[in-house]
Amino acid sequence: MPANLIEAKNLSKAYGDFKAVDGVDFAVRRGECFGFLGPNGAGKSTLMKMIYCFSPRSAGELTVLGLNPDRQAAALKNRLGVVAQSDNLDDEISVRENLEIYSGYFGLPKKQAAQKIEELLHFMSLTEKAAARIRELSGGLKRRLVIARALLNDPELLILDEPTTGLDPQVRHLIWVKLRELKKRGVTLLLTTHYMEEAQQLCDRLLVMDKGRVLAQGKPRDLMARHLPPYVMELPASRRLAATPPGVKVDRYQDRVFLYAKSPAQLHRLAGKLKGHFSIRPVGLEDLFLKLTGRDLHESE
Amino acid sequence: MRASNPPAGPGRPLPSLARKLSAVWMRHFTVYRRNFFTNSFFIVVEPIIFITAVGWGLASSISSMGGLDYLSFIAPGQVMVAAVFSAAFDMSYGTYFRMEMDHNYDSMLVTPLGVTDIFWGELLYHGTKGALFSTGVLAVFALWGLVHSPWALLVPLVGFLTALTFGSLGLFAVRLVKDISQFNFFISGVISPLTLFSGTLFPVDKLPKAVAFCAYWLPLFHPVHLTRMLTTGRFEADWPLSLAYTLIMPWVLGFFAARAMRPKLIQ
Repeated sequence: MPANLIEAKNLSKAYGDFKAVDGVDFAVRRGECFGFLGPNGAGKSTLMKMIYCFSPRSAGELTVLGLNPDRQAAALKNRLGVVAQSDNLDDEISVRENLEIYSGYFGLPKKQAAQKIEELLHFMSLTEKAAARIRELSGGLKRRLVIARALLNDPELLILDEPTTGLDPQVRHLIWVKLRELKKRGVTLLLTTHYMEEAQQLCDRLLVMDKGRVLAQGKPRDLMARHLPPYVMELPASRRLAATPPGVKVDRYQDRVFLYAKSPAQLHRLAGKLKGHFSIRPVGLEDLFLKLTGRDLHESE
Repeated sequence: MRASNPPAGPGRPLPSLARKLSAVWMRHFTVYRRNFFTNSFFIVVEPIIFITAVGWGLASSISSMGGLDYLSFIAPGQVMVAAVFSAAFDMSYGTYFRMEMDHNYDSMLVTPLGVTDIFWGELLYHGTKGALFSTGVLAVFALWGLVHSPWALLVPLVGFLTALTFGSLGLFAVRLVKDISQFNFFISGVISPLTLFSGTLFPVDKLPKAVAFCAYWLPLFHPVHLTRMLTTGRFEADWPLSLAYTLIMPWVLGFFAARAMRPKLIQ
């Protein structure tokens, strides 16, 4: 079995003159969780769609599970699980009926499907809701059902487009637990997210993109080490700084000033000179994200 | 826990075409089962109301049409109109809603189903409804004494095929419209005239020659013509043509219509 479940080389997608994805290279290894980060309109969703056969590539190479998504779509989709951004469940019927119908699309025999459905209801803690109609479910329950639905065919690769957007923290954490559990069992995960905490919690490796291009990729820790000093102090932009001591980098974003340094001590000394209380913390993915994608406000998709 | 078992791997078999089509058929059946009665009631009742009105008001002053009493002449057309409207509506407005609002097809398309599987499954579902509705209307007309031949037992099949044809036309409309209001052109501009000028209310040879020629080749003439031959048992010389047209047309249109949906979903 090849070590890479997805391989993309110089992958591009153009709609007329607009390049949604522009010469992207990356590889997703078997068993890892790989995340796409980027502002709205960066090309993450288009990239996902190319992987799950919704969007033929304009140029470059793409192999998913050793198959060509443009030519071997059915064989490939038979082995993928996809959780799209919108919940697209059948609202008028029950949770169990939704799963039964969906298992038919994969050609699962009735008996096998019934067993699988019970297991997945249990796995996503939906057993009590099995008979409920979709329109009676909260957003969190719907999302869990969509994830359960994507697991009916025991996919090798589970693709999730913003899996926890709009959900409350409890549901978000539950979903993270389940995704980590799936990963432990050998399911490879590919996700897009706007939540840096989600990326931090789940992703082994990240690809940060903007305007269709890759800005950086690698392990979250390495990326942060490569692009930012390890500590940061945040101030309101209204605060006047006399002079920045050597070794401290200054960055501005909207109404905040960010001071980066190699050691917390440097920042503590600086904070001592300013009146008030400022938190000094290790840099996080959010800092990295803002640094890489720049300070412009992005148009939403 | 099986739910989190290791992934299945490349060994998982692909579903057969029949399995895929029946899965889509089942989806529509299951989802629309709950409001099936309310949605179908008037499709069956409307042609009956129409015939009642004509029977009371008009039929007495028209002694015969095409060699038949007037009600027996128009009844077969109304049987097909039930299949036409159910398929044409649900595969234009309905399909548009499923595609643009509910994103149903997106969730189906991430499975082994392809675009043509999805729309053939949907066509077959509406074909089934067409068979059912034409049977319902036919049964009432039979009680009314408007069915004169056991050949009428084949009418549900014609209803099935006619629904496929008009479902396919609905798909072409979905492909062409820019927004939902444009379906008015399809229903009022295409479907309604077809139900009036296809030999449903009067023989097409009463039309100007050029119009009659066109009507003869449009999609509803032959199904209605064939249905009339089946309900009356009076077969005309062109019955093989009507049979061939009715049998072949839906599959040709369906083939192109299902393919026409591809660019709407795969971009």
